[in-house]
Amino acid sequence: MNFSEYVVSRWDTLSLAAAEHVLAVAIAIGVAALVGIGTGLLVHETPKARNASLALSAAILTVPSLALLTLLIPLTGLGWGSTLVALTAYALLPIIRNTVTGLNGVDATTVEAGRGMGMSRARVLMKVQLPLAWPLILTGVRVSTQMIIGIAAIAAYVDGPGLGTQIFEGLSRLGSVNALNATLAGTLGIVVIAVLFDLFFYAVRQLTVPRGLRVRH
Amino acid sequence: MAADTLTADILGSEASEGAGVPGAPETAGALTADRARPSRRAARLRLLLTPAAVCAVLAALYAWVSAQDLDSIEQRSLNPSVILTKAAEHLEMTLAATALVVVIAIPLGIVASRSRNRIATPVILTAANLGQAVPCIGLLVLCTFLMGVGFQTALVGLVAYSVLPVLRNTMVGVQQVDPALVEAARGMGMTRGQVLRRVELRLAVPAILAGLRTALVLTVGVATLGAFVAAGGFGELIINGLKLNRMPVTVVGGVLTACIAFLIDWLGALAENVLRPRGL
Repeated sequence: MNFSEYVVSRWDTLSLAAAEHVLAVAIAIGVAALVGIGTGLLVHETPKARNASLALSAAILTVPSLALLTLLIPLTGLGWGSTLVALTAYALLPIIRNTVTGLNGVDATTVEAGRGMGMSRARVLMKVQLPLAWPLILTGVRVSTQMIIGIAAIAAYVDGPGLGTQIFEGLSRLGSVNALNATLAGTLGIVVIAVLFDLFFYAVRQLTVPRGLRVRH
Repeated sequence: MAADTLTADILGSEASEGAGVPGAPETAGALTADRARPSRRAARLRLLLTPAAVCAVLAALYAWVSAQDLDSIEQRSLNPSVILTKAAEHLEMTLAATALVVVIAIPLGIVASRSRNRIATPVILTAANLGQAVPCIGLLVLCTFLMGVGFQTALVGLVAYSVLPVLRNTMVGVQQVDPALVEAARGMGMTRGQVLRRVELRLAVPAILAGLRTALVLTVGVATLGAFVAAGGFGELIINGLKLNRMPVTVVGGVLTACIAFLIDWLGALAENVLRPRGL
């Protein structure tokens, strides 16, 4: 059986696994974006809180994924729970860091102008700083997504969802007829998902970045 | 775009933000500026934080394991000789892979940064971004089909996984050196080779080191997957514990791997401080 025959004959399994992969990544990145951007908004002006949140999220990223996933088993069990917690935790650092960098990078005179027009601090934050920082924040979310798409493959080892199951199936049946096909299907499928997510973020960027910023790029 | 990627890069770690990259937007300097403010003594104390925390974790781990009533299966994994062997295997795998990455990626990055190779820049940036999504476990298993199981397979997989980020950081680091400085060096009569060696590479050191440091830390984590292709390392403890339903074995493997990752990250930070050109 060659690769294309394998994909056709296993299409149901593969498409389900791919859909689960996308769903897990989407949920994790959604939660991480909310938490990360929220944290960034709250801490960007207080150096201590900012450094603490950056150091904490960097520390999480230092923990190897297989180790974190297995250490989570006693707490969140096998499967979706551990997968989602680990993926969300890993996605935080790029988002928080880019939010903080973006918000603090807004020209001080622009903020001053907003204040001078009578806007409250919160209004300046939401109406001036956030839109100006948005491209950088979006880049952070994109980088996080690419990263956790790859990590999600390992989650299959703790019974998590997604295309990683195909890779581990190939590994456990090393030498049998479809082992290579399964591994290839899993790996290439994940690459395809990564490309699709990248296109999605490209579209989001085109649609949501304020027009004044787009012209400059 | 390049500056965007570098600041946004998760791999960049603090050091790549603004530090040593004169072309980077001022925005990125905000973080480092705050960090430089506390006195030297506070900085030195913070330097001791990581090893102290790691020691505390290791002590807690030891106390916890000693308090457990280990059965014969656990004893077979959790004894000093096994753990030391695994640690040696893990470090060997990590360091060998990183050494190969240095040899391969840094020269290629320098070549890619030359102006006549500018066409390659967007290709490398995109490939490095998407390459991150290629699952390392898939890469490892595919390598197994080509070369069978074992240490070498894991090594090839690890190298393939971290070559692109290091290459990217090297290229971006060299490209972001202020053109005025290069111009000045040329005006002083330096040859292109001299400019590269004495100006561009020196100024790119922080960016290159930041990339290497992150690659090294990632490699520690990915090396746990080496256990799947029979290359040893702490991954073996994690996997065995999971398969035999012996949680203490898994926990020891996981915590020890994380500790190595933290220590290597800390050593990387030290190296960055020592090797950074004094003017920066």
